[in-house]
Amino acid sequence: MKPLLKSLAWIAVALLGAGALASIAFHRGEPINATWFVVAALCCYAVAYRFYSSFIAAKLLALDNTRATPAERHDDGRDFVPTNKWVLFGHHFAAIAGPGPLIGPTLAAQFGYLPGTLWLIAGAALGGCVQDFVILFCSIRRDGKTLGQMVREEVSERGGLIAQLAVLAIMVILLASVALIVVNALKSSPWATFTLAMTVPIAMLLGIYLRYLRPGRVLEASVIGVALVLFVVIAGQWVADSPSWAKVFTLSGVTLAFAIIAYGFAASALPVWLLLAPRDYLSAFIKAGAIFSLAAGILLVRPQVLMPPLTRFVDGTGPVFAGKVFPFCFITIACGAVSGFHSLIASGTTPKMIQREFHARFIGYGAMLLESFVGVMAMVAACAMPPGVYFAINSPSSIVGASPEAATQTISSWGYPVTAERMSQLAHSVGELTLFNRAGGAPSLAVGMAQIFSSTIGGDRLLSIWYHFAIMFEALFILTVLDAGTRVGRFMVQELAGRVWKPIGRMNWMPGILLSSGLIVALWGYFLYQGVVDPLGGINSLWPLFGIANQLLASVALVLATTIMMKMGRMKWIWVTLLPMAWLLIVTITASYQKIFSPVPRIGFLANANVLAAQIAAGNIPAAKIADTHRLIFNQRLDAAVTFVLASMILILLVEALGQWYAILSGRKNAVLQETPYVASQWVEGD
Amino acid sequence: MRTFLAVAKKSLQRVWLGLRQWSGDAAYERYLECATRNGAANTLSESDFYVEQLNRRYSRPNRCC
Repeated sequence: MKPLLKSLAWIAVALLGAGALASIAFHRGEPINATWFVVAALCCYAVAYRFYSSFIAAKLLALDNTRATPAERHDDGRDFVPTNKWVLFGHHFAAIAGPGPLIGPTLAAQFGYLPGTLWLIAGAALGGCVQDFVILFCSIRRDGKTLGQMVREEVSERGGLIAQLAVLAIMVILLASVALIVVNALKSSPWATFTLAMTVPIAMLLGIYLRYLRPGRVLEASVIGVALVLFVVIAGQWVADSPSWAKVFTLSGVTLAFAIIAYGFAASALPVWLLLAPRDYLSAFIKAGAIFSLAAGILLVRPQVLMPPLTRFVDGTGPVFAGKVFPFCFITIACGAVSGFHSLIASGTTPKMIQREFHARFIGYGAMLLESFVGVMAMVAACAMPPGVYFAINSPSSIVGASPEAATQTISSWGYPVTAERMSQLAHSVGELTLFNRAGGAPSLAVGMAQIFSSTIGGDRLLSIWYHFAIMFEALFILTVLDAGTRVGRFMVQELAGRVWKPIGRMNWMPGILLSSGLIVALWGYFLYQGVVDPLGGINSLWPLFGIANQLLASVALVLATTIMMKMGRMKWIWVTLLPMAWLLIVTITASYQKIFSPVPRIGFLANANVLAAQIAAGNIPAAKIADTHRLIFNQRLDAAVTFVLASMILILLVEALGQWYAILSGRKNAVLQETPYVASQWVEGD
Repeated sequence: MRTFLAVAKKSLQRVWLGLRQWSGDAAYERYLECATRNGAANTLSESDFYVEQLNRRYSRPNRCC
């Protein structure tokens, strides 16, 4: 009787999920309630986790609980620490969940809610979760080796080098993209700038507390830190209301860019305990709180989704970023669906802490499902505001017009009505001077979150506080990614440069630290500056580059996974990793081709450079702007070259892997796995 | 009632322990336990362990996009 009831319950969950998905897919005309999104996502995740992940665990990976994990064999209380699966789930989720699943869906909402939502759910269940789970498993079976080491050993030496370069490339472009989002969120906003600036001394205070007063007492320090951060969110209003202080914290995009570049350099070069680590603690607690509050808020408020399922911009003429729904929706939403960067976490700390092989399913597959859910909630928050407001916030002035009247007229003419008065009223109620031309996704997400939060607590009275809390939350954990990424990038530069000149490779040699920190900061700082001065808003060129780089890394991870499964003799189930790999390769190569060669100037880097060059040649550019235009032309060509290099790396790796696969399948080469030998677990079941 | 209170107390203790482990608050205790189990002769002080742990953690990708 019990199995029958179980089967009936799962059939009910599957039918409910299918019904909810059909509702959001075929709904037209009237706004749809956000509850349908939550139900569709949760039912799909439940079915995917219960059936697909257990199929992968049993058939493809054949997880073995009798086999000792690296944490059991090397238990040293430092790197290798057997950890409770719920605690490790929390660790892993905190590590993989960054700004990507919030920003990507917000930007992709320009296509309407449907493409992004479907990609978030299906992409995660069939691609992202599979990648995280399989790479975690591979690393567990290899003593917690990194992605680069595994590619080198299982695919080829050249593949390993490509993986290493891909990580460095993604790091540089990622850091520039997320820094640009912070710049656009803080531009001309004294309240937000003050709040974020204050988190630096707060983090340093906590750093000193944790280093000298109460070493390692993270919880009590975090409670103090969170209280101080909440205080400065409120204090930001006093700064914004004071004419003299507001002037000090009202900064232009370029000034903010240089401030963030200086911050990145300091965070990389200063001792890690002073700034980076305490900021990370603060960020982790605020991130967890804000994400769960957003989920609770959506469930309580059940807002109407006002964005249509598909907008006219699926044709590629969108104001937020240019490009058709295929392939650009699939690279704009990377984290939340499939993110290559996760493979670095799944082959980093997590495999060294896992107690049992069976836990890999819950942690690898399950944590990614939760991240996908965060993406769906971000999509709901972005789509719950009127489309006209969404486009007014996210469109650059070069597309919609510089004045509020011109911008609202252009946006209304697209069929998304909005008025200058409405925007002015909204800006006033969230405590900003203006919400026009705030590309990057963070301000519109903050407006969406603030509306949801204020519908639960405080009403319109607290809208401005909630808005700045949301901005602080986004900027705080973006800066955490920025400083942690800059530091890791510094280590990579030191490691690579150390091969050429040994002293720079020494991790405790101060000139080497300063030089390598300067180099990595200069690399992403250049792209950031380029984005800030770009008349199309920067996001148009930087975010697709980031998506391409991130999906390149996902392709590397899935090529590795497919190769290992082939060597394990799992040919029958090879499609589990092969299909998402093929899809990502198609998407990434198509997007790369279009970004380089499309004749549409807003899409193709080279076409844009040619248009600008033709304008100079025709004398249409004023003399004072010729130097700037030459710089823009150079930047567009540089972006084309970077995209070309990224796409070439994918193709070289694919050729390498195809050669390997052919040799294995034709029997010309023995399929030698580099797994660590089997050691029986000493722990009894239930330990 | 007594059983309920005992279960509630045990559950809260487990949540608290989980939170301490997740945040890193309990890292030094676990390190000492492990060192004792392995019979290590020299152990790091709490402050040195904290700095060493941070240097190790932030020298590889540990925060995603």
